[in-house]
Amino acid sequence: MAQIPNLDNSPLNLKSLRELSQRELVNILKNIRGKKCLVIDPKLSGSLSLIIQTSILREHGVELRHLSADPIQTDCTKVVYLVRSRFNLMRCICSHVHNDTSKGLEREYYIYFVPRREVVCEKVLEEEKVHHLMTIGEFPLYIVPLDEDILSFELDFTNKDCQVDGDTSSLWHIAKAIHKLESSFGVIPHVRAKGKASVRVADILSHMQTEEPVNSSDMGVPEINTVILLDREVDMVTPMCSQLTYEGLLDEFLHINNGSVELDASIMGAQQQEGKKMKVPLNSSDKLFKEIRDLNFEVVVQVLRQKATSMKQDYTEMTTTNQTVSELKDFVKKLNSLPEMTRHINLAQHLSTFTSKPSFLARLDMEHTIVEAQSYDICFEHIEELIHKQEPLVSVLRLLILLSVTSSGLPKKHFDYLRRELLHSYGFEHMATLNNLEKAGLLKKQETKSNWLTVKRALQLVVEDTDTANPNDISYVFSGYAPLSIRLVQHAVRSGWRPMEEILKMLPGPHSETKRTGVLSSPSSDTLYRASEAADRLADGRRALVLVVFIGGVTFAEISALRYLSAQEGMAYDLIIGTTNIVNGNTLAEAYVERFG
Amino acid sequence: LLWKESWELGKNPMASKGSPLHGPRIKLIEKAQSLFSETKEHIFESKAAEEHAKLLRIQHELEVSTKQAIFVDSSISDTIRTCIVLGNHRAAMKVKTEFKVSEKRWYWLKVFALATIRDWDALEKF
Repeated sequence: MAQIPNLDNSPLNLKSLRELSQRELVNILKNIRGKKCLVIDPKLSGSLSLIIQTSILREHGVELRHLSADPIQTDCTKVVYLVRSRFNLMRCICSHVHNDTSKGLEREYYIYFVPRREVVCEKVLEEEKVHHLMTIGEFPLYIVPLDEDILSFELDFTNKDCQVDGDTSSLWHIAKAIHKLESSFGVIPHVRAKGKASVRVADILSHMQTEEPVNSSDMGVPEINTVILLDREVDMVTPMCSQLTYEGLLDEFLHINNGSVELDASIMGAQQQEGKKMKVPLNSSDKLFKEIRDLNFEVVVQVLRQKATSMKQDYTEMTTTNQTVSELKDFVKKLNSLPEMTRHINLAQHLSTFTSKPSFLARLDMEHTIVEAQSYDICFEHIEELIHKQEPLVSVLRLLILLSVTSSGLPKKHFDYLRRELLHSYGFEHMATLNNLEKAGLLKKQETKSNWLTVKRALQLVVEDTDTANPNDISYVFSGYAPLSIRLVQHAVRSGWRPMEEILKMLPGPHSETKRTGVLSSPSSDTLYRASEAADRLADGRRALVLVVFIGGVTFAEISALRYLSAQEGMAYDLIIGTTNIVNGNTLAEAYVERFG
Repeated sequence: LLWKESWELGKNPMASKGSPLHGPRIKLIEKAQSLFSETKEHIFESKAAEEHAKLLRIQHELEVSTKQAIFVDSSISDTIRTCIVLGNHRAAMKVKTEFKVSEKRWYWLKVFALATIRDWDALEKF
């Protein structure tokens, strides 16, 4: 229950979005009469848990199973598969069917593809001669609201797919998702894109609009004013740095999955047997978490301590002096927040065991030195030493990518030397990993002089004297480094791309800026556009909305920085975030590591 | 295209990992090496493939002489570590010179390996 985020405070009516998906799923189930066994793709179960409770599923006579290679054990005669369009999943289903027929079991099979069916998958079913046994449908789940200001398109590894494998089907998905948003909230008048994939998405989006236009005349003013599309490729520096916000650190060390972390119950102070895992939900329904998730971790510890002492004070007052009934009531109310307090104190304590390690501090130091880009040799030697000590490959790659991106590649001598050392230390099979990284431009030979210094200066990426407790700039999320991606958003929101074209040209990928109107060639489109401009300064206190879409994933630290921007006084916009998935440096670097066997 | 072909070759042996016959695998890698060496841009890849084949040979020999199947498919650094842990310093030295392992890396490996077997005396000596 608590895992489903409360969306009441969202600037956009995301609840209706979630209810729509929920209804669609329920309808699918209703249309299949009687008891049925619902077999879910394990990768999907996380996203599903964010839109529907299992209890609702049970009400519709559903037995739940996870899809695996093993045959399913159930008494139901109807089997409903809910899967993504993937080859290996098709194979599983085929083996299930074959297994049933060999036993003489007759069942009805339904396959619902999420979010849409693909011809290649149906071909697999045909080849295995099970296609005629299946009823095939679609469950168009393109967007899952992760929290009141985050939409996820639930796509994995888009970055690597596009750059290394040349697979661009996910771009269509993103455009479709935005298009779907438009059909509930009106055509978004301004589109700004930066990066190859982003510009493609913007193109596909305008095609979709001409092919099946969203009729915006009956919807009035579009609720979303601008969409900013950013490729992860544009800013690979930020995700490679260690995140220092509370939520960011939780993700770096414990990995947040669909809005919750899983860890040993003993860490959370539970009195249960050893080794038992438990899930801790993390979203803005938890008021305390909402308050501290975006803060720098240093500050979180102070806040928690303060709260604990004030509570203790209240308690002593309570026991020593006589209280009126209303004061008692206040006190009891405060006690209600106690479970949340203990939860986060436990989590914070667990985190500080990681953050107090000297190796972590050394790492932060190194990241800053690299981002400063003043002393290349020190960084090079540090990484060399890490490789020699055979530190975990992924963490070495993170620093290496950081170094390579900020200095637009390594000098040839060092490039070959480090690659050789990497292969020697981690095995020759990583030749493929190196090749992936090179193809993606993350680790390469230096060919031109780096313009990182210019970019850094122009966008003020490194800020001295950052006060993490009372931040006056987004740089607080990395204790002194302002994420490049968010700086871009900051400028795009304020003045569009035009004044900063010089800088944009120094970053990878093209950029584009388009204005769109709801109904093409209709006389009312002009007035509609003016109305939307007026909407920027709505009188009723609601601010215009900007949707920031990250293609290839976003980190929690960046989300925090955007929330910070959005909360600033004088900020004319509310920001909401759309992303393919949530990432951090580890998951990104991991995607490039080739695994065999 | 040539490059891609050789790439497939490089990947192939990994897929058929676990087969007791290492001969064909080494041959495949050598073929990859010769394919790589046909173009100028892939000198690095060619060298790596050559070293890979050499490593597999040495590991194979080590497995025969120590009668333990723990060498094949570990990296050069791991091989050196294992040798030192087993007390086979001569083999470790041989791997080191064979692949021109730098002194820096050599010392790290040796320190780690000696620490794992708690050979403090040897650690003290060097």
